[in-house]
Amino acid sequence: MLNDLLVAFQAVATIENFLIMAAGIWGGVIIGAIPGMTGTMAVTLALPFTFYMQPIPSILLLVALYKGSTYGGSVSAILIKTPGTASAACTTLDGYPLAQQGKAGKALNMALYSSCTGDLISNLSLIFIAAPLALLALRIGPPEYFMLMIFALTTVAGVSGRSLVLGLVSACLGLLLATVGEDMYGSFRFDLTVDMQSGLAVAPVLIGLFAIPELLKIIIFRNTTTHKPMQMGDNQVTRVELRRCLKAMLKGSMIGVVMGAIPGIGPSAAAFSSYGEAQRSSKNRENFGKGELEGIAASESANNGCCGSTMIPLLALGVPGDVITGVMLGAFMIHGMTPGPMLFENNLHEVYMLFIGMLFSSVLLFGAGKATMRFFSHISRIPPSLMAPIVLALCVFGIFSISNNMYDVIVLLAMGVFGFFMFLFAIPAAPFLIAFILGPMLEENLRRALALSRGDPSILVSSPITWLFASLAVFVVVVTIRQQLKKASA
Amino acid sequence: MGMTRGLIITALFGIVLFLLIPAYVPRPRFIPGFAPPPDMWPRTVSMIGIALGLLLAGLSFLPKAEAIADPEDASAIRGNTPVTTLLIRFGWTILAFVIFIGSVKLLGFLLSSILLLAVMLILTGYWRQKIVALLVAVVLPLALYLFFSSALNTRFPIGSLFKAIGI
Repeated sequence: MLNDLLVAFQAVATIENFLIMAAGIWGGVIIGAIPGMTGTMAVTLALPFTFYMQPIPSILLLVALYKGSTYGGSVSAILIKTPGTASAACTTLDGYPLAQQGKAGKALNMALYSSCTGDLISNLSLIFIAAPLALLALRIGPPEYFMLMIFALTTVAGVSGRSLVLGLVSACLGLLLATVGEDMYGSFRFDLTVDMQSGLAVAPVLIGLFAIPELLKIIIFRNTTTHKPMQMGDNQVTRVELRRCLKAMLKGSMIGVVMGAIPGIGPSAAAFSSYGEAQRSSKNRENFGKGELEGIAASESANNGCCGSTMIPLLALGVPGDVITGVMLGAFMIHGMTPGPMLFENNLHEVYMLFIGMLFSSVLLFGAGKATMRFFSHISRIPPSLMAPIVLALCVFGIFSISNNMYDVIVLLAMGVFGFFMFLFAIPAAPFLIAFILGPMLEENLRRALALSRGDPSILVSSPITWLFASLAVFVVVVTIRQQLKKASA
Repeated sequence: MGMTRGLIITALFGIVLFLLIPAYVPRPRFIPGFAPPPDMWPRTVSMIGIALGLLLAGLSFLPKAEAIADPEDASAIRGNTPVTTLLIRFGWTILAFVIFIGSVKLLGFLLSSILLLAVMLILTGYWRQKIVALLVAVVLPLALYLFFSSALNTRFPIGSLFKAIGI
């Protein structure tokens, strides 16, 4: 294997390949940083260009775009409280408070270090443990998915702030809103208008909930005293801080690797699970949500930790885990390669080239992130009374471009107003978002499992994997309730 | 605050459970008996929501539980501004959003966005820097319009007014 990897290294290490990957990473970072533009959009747009390229450089371009956009989402999440991608929503919770404290550079650096670490570990996992992880992923059925989602939902407790009850109310609102649109049997729910039959897309809900309430707060309360321009001298992450965050980073990377390898889970769920875990095990858990670097490390390492491992089911089994890997499957097939077990028989050299190229792209991600940081850091110097309307314009154009439909723009603005009311009633927004993203998967797998068992709920605890996730979820809930009761009695 | 909020949350989930679900979540005939129907999940969530709303209202009577039911609220950043002023500002913002959505068909996406951005800059108070604000209100939507329509082939609505005059 080592010999094959060295041969592949030689084949990949060309200026042309480096330029292609650098362009992909750079483009991905910029696209990810623009609210409303996602990695899926970047990969889909680049697909036609790959028709004229060699097979491996074309796949590397798509992978680079995916990685770049996953990191890029954190830039706008930190600087303007508008997550560029859904997986960066968790980064907003601590990134934006840090930016408000004049430490945006520190937050961006931590996001970059964590993204690169997660990415590297994910790539190494892809190379060395693809086969066992793919086998594990195959054993995950609807009951296991359901319990995994329940476990991921326990993150709600961690991001609920001081009130678990309000966090749960927020989660219920998210679960309810996620049911709008077509259900798994083809009937429509809550279709008050024809447009609502297509449901509510994640991007307008996510961006509306985080970005628009900030604008409304500025307009209505005219409170801009909290804004502090970023100090350039406060940019660096110190060694002590890095050491403190290392545990969260490594744990987050592993969570990202495992959840990325399971088809359909995706980086958002991984980021929230990692964040919840980091908060539970941190000595600074009280500081989470107020500007804690460990929170950024956990979230970013997990979402980039998915980037390499989402390729595991694709390469090993030929099963695309999400839309992006679905597009990549198309790219493989265009170039005459069929992902699955036979890929390792017929195209082993190409597979190793891909592995090596992905490792290179981790290094390029670091370089691109550092290079663009100084440019992005100027954003935090813009006064909020100017920045908020600019963000609104970016959101409105970005969201319209996703579907070429005013409906999504209406959802964006409506969710902004809804988010503002949530703020007025002190209902935290983060649990809403987690529930909105995980809700459809939770419901679908619950209903599938019950349909499989002919309505017998014991199927939900019928295998060791379901027991594992159920025990973890119960443990987390019990610990959280104990903490809340302690707080109340104090 | 705690009592009112609890009751509002209960009412919200109650409306969903008793009015919206019966009217807007139909049960298809072809689902076999053992498979959960489409209204199972929204009903369950709504019932939990009602219980949580009542719990919140109940907790407002217990001073010890106030910490877990009532964290800091918006009053911290409200300051001394009268409620009427806040409501007027909120009303203007909502009106601007509604007019923007309504005007896209008539004026097109670009012009409506320019107007929306200008109104937002006035409402945030940045309009005192007139030249910068005017430049931002015009140049930013124009740049975004050109970027999205050329790079992504986004087809923004042109507006019936411009269509009528042949632009």
